[in-house]
Amino acid sequence: MTAMPIALYIEQIVNGLVAGSMYALVGGGIALIYGTMRVLNMAHGEFYMMGGYAAFYLVGRAVPPVLAIPLVAGLLFLVGAAVQRLTVHYLLRQDGWLFACIAATLGLSIAFQNLALIVFGEDYKTVPYYVEGILRLGDIRLPLQRVLMLLVAVGTLLAMGFLLKKTRFGWALRATSQDSDAASVCGIPVSRVHMITFGLSAALGGVAGAMLAPIYSVSPWMGLPVLFKGFVVVVLGGLGSFPGAIVGGLLLGIVEALGVQITSAEWRDVFGFALMIVVVWARPWGLFGKAP
Amino acid sequence: MFQPLRLNALLTAVVAALAVLGLPLLGVGSYVLHVMILIMIFAIFAVAYNLVTGYLGLKTFGHHAFFGLGAYGSALISIHLGIGAWASLWIGAALAAAFGLFIGLPILRIKSMAHVAVVTLAFAEIVRLSCSNLKGLTRGELGLWGIPAFQAFHLPLVGEVVFSPANKIGYYYLAALLLGMTLLATAVILRSKIGLAILAIRDGEDAAESLGVNLTRVKLGVFGLSAFMVGVAGAFYAHYVGILTPSAAIGADLMILVIAMVLVGGLGTFAGPLVGAVLLTSSAESLRFLDQYRLLVYGGLIVLVVLFAPRGLASLRLPGKRVPGRPA
Repeated sequence: MTAMPIALYIEQIVNGLVAGSMYALVGGGIALIYGTMRVLNMAHGEFYMMGGYAAFYLVGRAVPPVLAIPLVAGLLFLVGAAVQRLTVHYLLRQDGWLFACIAATLGLSIAFQNLALIVFGEDYKTVPYYVEGILRLGDIRLPLQRVLMLLVAVGTLLAMGFLLKKTRFGWALRATSQDSDAASVCGIPVSRVHMITFGLSAALGGVAGAMLAPIYSVSPWMGLPVLFKGFVVVVLGGLGSFPGAIVGGLLLGIVEALGVQITSAEWRDVFGFALMIVVVWARPWGLFGKAP
Repeated sequence: MFQPLRLNALLTAVVAALAVLGLPLLGVGSYVLHVMILIMIFAIFAVAYNLVTGYLGLKTFGHHAFFGLGAYGSALISIHLGIGAWASLWIGAALAAAFGLFIGLPILRIKSMAHVAVVTLAFAEIVRLSCSNLKGLTRGELGLWGIPAFQAFHLPLVGEVVFSPANKIGYYYLAALLLGMTLLATAVILRSKIGLAILAIRDGEDAAESLGVNLTRVKLGVFGLSAFMVGVAGAFYAHYVGILTPSAAIGADLMILVIAMVLVGGLGTFAGPLVGAVLLTSSAESLRFLDQYRLLVYGGLIVLVVLFAPRGLASLRLPGKRVPGRPA
């Protein structure tokens, strides 16, 4: 271990940051929906999967990535909004809607997975790197693809932050998540806010899927491990907190990148989940939040 | 659950039990018995899941972990320690119950349903990953094979009772016995004072506590018992099929299937899980040629049932047919 040059460590940490920025996108989407609707979206991994397939087919049809990524985001926004309007929208009015929403999104997740299996086939599809080349900073070498991932993630999250803090829609969304009845009384169209929020969340998942498609291959089952990662992230950051999800994502990415040096890759997820259960036990409000 | 047992409910139960017990005497084929055995394994699982989720109101999504723990626990004990399947079944189930109590502790502290869902899912994922990573012990996804069957024994009047793939009648009656015990235990508990406490916790935790219900003891006890029942189902499954893989015995598909069964039959009803197990298992078997659409259908079914019949198919009323005393 001591022989390891410091540059290698920095490289690992930067790689962890890149992976973490993707976890932040996924976790941010889960947190957004939970924060506004108190719905735990078990189908979020499938938005990610659809993003991967959308990127595969767009890039395969020679659409330049600069255009493909926003297209994927737009497409997934529509899918997410449609899913909300057709299922969750009605479930939110039921007695026992908490469980109904979890069960229904779980059913959706399985249905989407197997629909993808039938439509796209079970073979793993590979997507070429969006940019070739390697960035060198002294001893540190970074593939430009990973730099691009980090830039896209930061850009997307900044745009989301701007949307939430500075726009009328963001105010409406935050008001709805604080108290949807009061927001409704003030004239905020709560149902529409819910629908748009679901769309935004799906778009975040889709962008993550599109950006990670060249690194991992695209398959109908790619969503589930990412959903679990997203759950770890939002629990670390405090369920429902968008900034918490970002910090939690980056933290998980770095911890994993350094942890692989110590343990083997196949036990990595076990430690992630165990860490999450401990956090839920000791600090259910997340690592950084305040106790209610 | 508190009202006296009505005559027609009792009659239905007796007729159903007689039908189950009489079926092998009609000389049905081995395939029918196989489907019935699968139905009964799933029914035990669904009844136990319903006890926690439907009656106690603790919405867990990780019960397949206990199925896997019971299955792998019993299989490994009978293979390596030379203990017969009759004993290892209970040890495997006890192992599942022990893990149930262990994971039950952090869950009890949490009031948020989303946290409970995430923690139970993650726990099941830990169990599955461990079973597929500990290749020296479980052979991972290659499959743990060579699991001994139940030893044959001699029964007066009946003769030799054997357990082999060729002769499924022994397995059939054992599965029926285990299901009967599960149902009896569930019924006795639900009709007792503890049953009242369970429902009180579901309907209002704080109110129940204020009336002197020991939340921790009841919740943990019910969760452990449910894990034990699921463990029994898993252990029986291991010795019945003789081969285990992590994805088949602890896969999320298993949980999806059981959730679909309980929702279709009716969450929090006594007969619901049984109806669901019969409907979904038999339809899956008769629609074998649609195999690639099976999970798509289950997923869609869960969504539709939750949307249109949240209390199960039994609560669906035909349009125009009104229930007396209830507005349409």
